[in-house]
Amino acid sequence: MKSETIMRFAVRFYIGVFFVYLFTPLIIMGLATFNDSRFPTVSPWKGATLKWFEALAQDGAMWTALWTSVVVAAGVLVVAVPVGICCALFLSTVQGKGKTFLYSLMMSPLLTPGVIVGISTLIFWKGLSVSGGVFLTVVAQTTFIAAYVMLMVLARLQRFDRTLENAALSLGATQWQAFRRILLPYLKPAIFSAAAIAFLQSFENYNTTLFVKGYDTTLTVYIASKVRTGLTPAVNALGLVMISVTILLAVIYEVKRRREQSMNG
Amino acid sequence: MDSSVHLDNTVMQFGDFTAIQKTDLTIQSGEFFSFLGPSGCGKTTILNMISGFIDPTQGDIKIGGKSMHGVPANKRPTSMIFQNLALFPLMTVAENIEFGLEVRGVSKNERKKASDRLLELVALEGSGTKKVSELSGGQKQRIAIARALAVEPQVLLLDEPLSALDLKLRQHMRTELKAIQRKTGITFIYITHDQGEALTMSDRVAVMSAGRIQQVADPITLYRDPHTAFVASFVGENNGVSGKVIEAKSDLVVLDCGPLGKLAGRSQGNIAVGTAATLFIRPEHFRLQAENGMHTLGATIDEVNFEGAYLTLNAKTPAEQALSIQLGTHQFSESLKKGAPVSLSYNELDAIVIAGEGHV
Amino acid sequence: MFSQLKARFGSGLAVGIIGMIAIWLIGLVILPQLLMVDYSFRPNLLPADIGGPKDVYSLTNYETLFGNHIHLKIFFKTIWSSVLVTGLTLVVSYPIAFYLAKVATPQKAALCLLLLIIPFWINEILRTFSWYIILAYKGPLNALLLGLGFIDRPIRFLSGDGGVLIGMVYAYILFMIFPIYNAIESLDTNQIKAARNLGAGWIRTHWRVVIPHAKPGIATGCIMTFMLAAGSYAVPALLGSPGSRWFTQIIYNWFFEGGDWNQGAAYAFLLLIICIGFIALVMRIFKVGLGDIAK
Repeated sequence: MKSETIMRFAVRFYIGVFFVYLFTPLIIMGLATFNDSRFPTVSPWKGATLKWFEALAQDGAMWTALWTSVVVAAGVLVVAVPVGICCALFLSTVQGKGKTFLYSLMMSPLLTPGVIVGISTLIFWKGLSVSGGVFLTVVAQTTFIAAYVMLMVLARLQRFDRTLENAALSLGATQWQAFRRILLPYLKPAIFSAAAIAFLQSFENYNTTLFVKGYDTTLTVYIASKVRTGLTPAVNALGLVMISVTILLAVIYEVKRRREQSMNG
Repeated sequence: MDSSVHLDNTVMQFGDFTAIQKTDLTIQSGEFFSFLGPSGCGKTTILNMISGFIDPTQGDIKIGGKSMHGVPANKRPTSMIFQNLALFPLMTVAENIEFGLEVRGVSKNERKKASDRLLELVALEGSGTKKVSELSGGQKQRIAIARALAVEPQVLLLDEPLSALDLKLRQHMRTELKAIQRKTGITFIYITHDQGEALTMSDRVAVMSAGRIQQVADPITLYRDPHTAFVASFVGENNGVSGKVIEAKSDLVVLDCGPLGKLAGRSQGNIAVGTAATLFIRPEHFRLQAENGMHTLGATIDEVNFEGAYLTLNAKTPAEQALSIQLGTHQFSESLKKGAPVSLSYNELDAIVIAGEGHV
Repeated sequence: MFSQLKARFGSGLAVGIIGMIAIWLIGLVILPQLLMVDYSFRPNLLPADIGGPKDVYSLTNYETLFGNHIHLKIFFKTIWSSVLVTGLTLVVSYPIAFYLAKVATPQKAALCLLLLIIPFWINEILRTFSWYIILAYKGPLNALLLGLGFIDRPIRFLSGDGGVLIGMVYAYILFMIFPIYNAIESLDTNQIKAARNLGAGWIRTHWRVVIPHAKPGIATGCIMTFMLAAGSYAVPALLGSPGSRWFTQIIYNWFFEGGDWNQGAAYAFLLLIICIGFIALVMRIFKVGLGDIAK
């Protein structure tokens, strides 16, 4: 009994320490934004200021990089989501030899380091006289983000009751109508989740993008370059804004998901 | 309109496994026809062939005299009610019913009229805007029927649609299905492993086993005159006693059943003297008092069960053959107890004899 | 395979599905990898010489690595450090995953999962950058330790590999927790109770009941973490010092500073082989198949 109590206390303590470890960096980064210091830090504290938000707003290169990121992420979304859906449909339909091999092949981009995805894309397209830039970034990111989409859509597809499709066919629907009216609406939540994840993955990607970006700069690459050269708390301001936006999106997404879940019983 | 279904020398194989042996069967236009059999007997395969989800390996399916070869499921004049009903969960009740019309390009007004009419038919007026998840089991059942009828099929295929319901609802839905079938006049093809369902609703029943149709007959004939040992023991309860044929005249056969003596029954098919055969007596055909011309066999009581309106006895013959006997409760007496001897009589016209050893 | 797709979706959609998959797999996954390997066996030539008599296959690019002691040292250090990161992350993650799956009440677990996901939604660069602030010579961690009197002089956390390791464990912890959590969650709680009931201690219960069940999750977590660590460019670039370079940084330099893509391709291929080797090793140790991974 006594050892149980100690055990329970130890577990609580560990969980507590863990979450402190998880959130301290984010809090420190947020706080450093408001420190009136030339470098991003919280010690020593030199008084509160909002000037770094102003500095951020006037940073033209940052806005350009943000726009590039949005364009790239949109491009990835348009290509990777349909590809991922197709792979999931394929895997949930086809049985027989070669399926395991194809599944491994589709999974392989997730098990390949991001830098290698970038490098191989760069080399392949050099042969076609295409050099780095927004287009190659979209291509390289799609390579592995499509696999993420596939996994998410596949997870929902595996719970789909295929007699619903047969029911639609038996009522005279064409295969396309059965897909369009029955399967696609069923997959919709998974597709939206996958699209959100794809967008985020693209937006925050660094390792792959670094090799294929050419002269274009995405926001993540821009932040990284800022950290290494000319570091000011304006980077923190940008980080804080991004953290706030992502948390806001996460909360909206979560609320929406729960509402849908309760609506579907 | 001719809405007969003809299985024209149909065979279905999956790889090396023959799911349906060569079958030739015609289901009449407007008939309520059931396939009855244990799971794995091939009845679902037959339904899938008629609906077009699979194509027969050999032979053809004809609906209304027209070959269905190469006609896909969505172009056949059939519609199906699935075992799990397969209502579309993301659509309302009305959208479910109207789905078949919608994919045919029927206008919204027409669709609305149709769904209102069908909701009335299944006694669920005004529930069109409900979500499927708001319905009870029985209501879902009726919506599935309404949805299948909306496309005005010539043939309605039903795949054990009542199996998910509780007993009371199931019995109620039997009457309702039969009534709907009479009202609409279309051919119903029903598959089930529940003989109660098959016998109460059907005009004719096909009993299936191991991919082969054993017998096709109306329910009463099926019960009274089973043609095979499988049908005799699968439809209703039966006691099988095997023996050797010692006498066969017109339609009466006498068997030598060893320690049980000579027993007789009506013959099913040609049975030659000297061959092995099995005599089947239903539990309710046994009497405790022998009347004129009855046959009698002795047994020892193993167990007496009181079930309200009737009694069932489990007994053993001297040859260690188990028998099941059903008696009216008024026949109960103190002498009917475990270990007591009992003499069981039956009328030879109530027993049947089928060639072969088998009690399946 | 096509006939199964056609039976379900009709020929138009089936062709579309196959087409999309083929373009992705062949054009984006297979051919670029093959071309990278091909590149790594060719010499770095002027455009005019490509396809000419000098354009022959050789192992020269690989010999360069094995002749360069600094690069070789960095190569092995990267592997070793990645293994270390993987091991550390596993040790930190396992109790959390077990707590979430089997100890916490459902409401608590849901809240914790949400809290776990929030940092995951945030840019890896930003997360790493925060550690840069914390670990700086004049940063808050040193200030705290000095203030509490644990140390007399600030520690240079960012001069060796220490900062990189801390940053990596932080960055990849979720890739370890989630697969293990999913695996443990599917374990019937009664099995744990039964083991306890039969007199097994906590350690034995975990060793004999929980861990064997969680094997696919642990394998997935280890593979993902190792791959991300060995292939990371961001974390060492931000938290490393010039004296603690990562192999990916050498590769980057061949591409964008040395201008020798063929040499870079050879290095990249070696990194890929190490990752594949690690995956094969983990799958062997844990006796799991590719199908069990990333579920």
